[in-house]
Amino acid sequence: MNLRSFVIIFGCWLFLLASTVSLAVSKLKIQGSTTVNPVVSDAAQVFRDKGWKITVDTQGGSSGGISALGEGLVDIGMSSKPVTEKDRKRFPKVNFVQHTIGYDGVAVVVSRPVYESGVKKLNREQIQKIYEGKIKNWKQVGGFDKPIVFFNKEPGRGTWEVFAKFLYDDTKKAPKVFHPEVGANEEARAKVGSHPSAMTQLSLSWATDQEKLAPLAIINEKNEIIDPTIESVESGKYPLTRTLFVLTNGQPKDGTKTFIDYLKTTEGQGLLVKHGYLAVGSKP
Amino acid sequence: MTKSFVFLLSFFAVGFICFLGAILFFQALPFLSSDSGLLSWGYWDFREGEYHALSMVWGSVVVAVIALGLAFPVGLGASIFVSEYLTGKKRAAAKMAIELLAGVPSVVYGLLGVAFLRNWIFSPLQSMGAPSSDTLFTGGVLLAIMVLPTMMSFSDDALRCVPRRIREAGWGMGLSHSQTVLTLVLPQAKSGILGAVMLSFGRAIGETIAVFLVIGRSDQLFSPESFSLTSVLRAGQTLTTKLGGSEISIAYGDPHHWSALMALGGLLWIGIAALTYFSEFVLPKRIHVP
Repeated sequence: MNLRSFVIIFGCWLFLLASTVSLAVSKLKIQGSTTVNPVVSDAAQVFRDKGWKITVDTQGGSSGGISALGEGLVDIGMSSKPVTEKDRKRFPKVNFVQHTIGYDGVAVVVSRPVYESGVKKLNREQIQKIYEGKIKNWKQVGGFDKPIVFFNKEPGRGTWEVFAKFLYDDTKKAPKVFHPEVGANEEARAKVGSHPSAMTQLSLSWATDQEKLAPLAIINEKNEIIDPTIESVESGKYPLTRTLFVLTNGQPKDGTKTFIDYLKTTEGQGLLVKHGYLAVGSKP
Repeated sequence: MTKSFVFLLSFFAVGFICFLGAILFFQALPFLSSDSGLLSWGYWDFREGEYHALSMVWGSVVVAVIALGLAFPVGLGASIFVSEYLTGKKRAAAKMAIELLAGVPSVVYGLLGVAFLRNWIFSPLQSMGAPSSDTLFTGGVLLAIMVLPTMMSFSDDALRCVPRRIREAGWGMGLSHSQTVLTLVLPQAKSGILGAVMLSFGRAIGETIAVFLVIGRSDQLFSPESFSLTSVLRAGQTLTTKLGGSEISIAYGDPHHWSALMALGGLLWIGIAALTYFSEFVLPKRIHVP
């Protein structure tokens, strides 16, 4: 190979590199919660069909979405938890604007064999003791004689925060535990579903009508049994509810505004119902 | 002209690795200079501001040792067969298959691990006292499969480097083919095989996605009791699975947390560099033919 062809190849390589960079600039980038993702991905597909370039990524869950928006890496963040004062302090130059697009519950989920063995409902104290490893066997809460394996949602995930707030009122009070951790909803579902005696926290809509796992009813302080259904979330009785957001830096403009407005239309809200969430109109 | 141009290109490569090391070092500096106790007993929890990485170093080493322990005998045996007992087209086909195995993307191995390996080894693990199959051990077994091609391919190269006249000398002495291979060829290829082990070890330490999916990613408390079989049968974390996880995106905007993660990256960089240095320069590669 002579020098000339060498330089040509090298030039082509540089050109390719440069062209991928310039392509990336013309995209609407979205990142965050795996719970919000199915809705936003469907909406993104509608706009892709119109020729838009949209990427939707779930790296890091809700916290990942908030951080990526804060760093200016994305145009829209997806979050299943509100932006906190701490987040605003971390990114003082960013004006986080929250757009409520719907509601969801967080279910306490067990492997199907556990459910079949008789564990169908738990109260807050029992869940707390299981989380802290003080209850170690399903027979202590009315099930079969098998060890409880807890797959903990990674801290920073919206699901984990709702769960920790339910148990300890404040996520900062949640004790350090040493359970195996799971990230995205898909992973939590796969790992609990393939284990004979496991438990985890999972978005309610992701846990409903599943073959290999089942959500538990929650016994509240008045000893009422609250079924883990979207109707319970809507009635306001189910204790682990949360708001689903998309976030922008400042009021949305141009493409970002068009996209978020779409999520609030009847058609966009229909996507939430399709994926088992509550639309904004049926606020719990 | 050509010389200075290719010099420029090689300078890019060398410059980039130095640049990478420097970036990691300077980004990690604020954390390291804050008396952090990166390499001390304890655990890692960014919510509590606890950043102790020994548990991850231990995880990385355990996983790689298990992988090598399983892959070494199989890989060496297979490479002896391919190199000494197969000839011509059969050998070429076998060699190509091995190299194809090395080219499979690691996320594919990871998904196979989640879908099959975890379920297959669940009951033996459970009988040994493991609560679930997301353990350091599972990570090691999956990595064993992944480093096998590296191990086989480089051992095969090492064996092929032994000159034919060594074998001929063996046959001339009346040794059988097997005796020749085991007593003459294998000792000559020793340093090359050791190099294969080191490279496999480096691959095992650096692998991320596949291990990520089966290791459990739990930041365990690292204490003197961690040096036990029990800790191997629990969920754990390696340096790469921590860096590949969601903490990087959480750490944006929190300089101390970010710096701590860069220190982890630095640890990994140093580890890999040391392994590479060792296998490239310390181990004598030349085969001394008398």
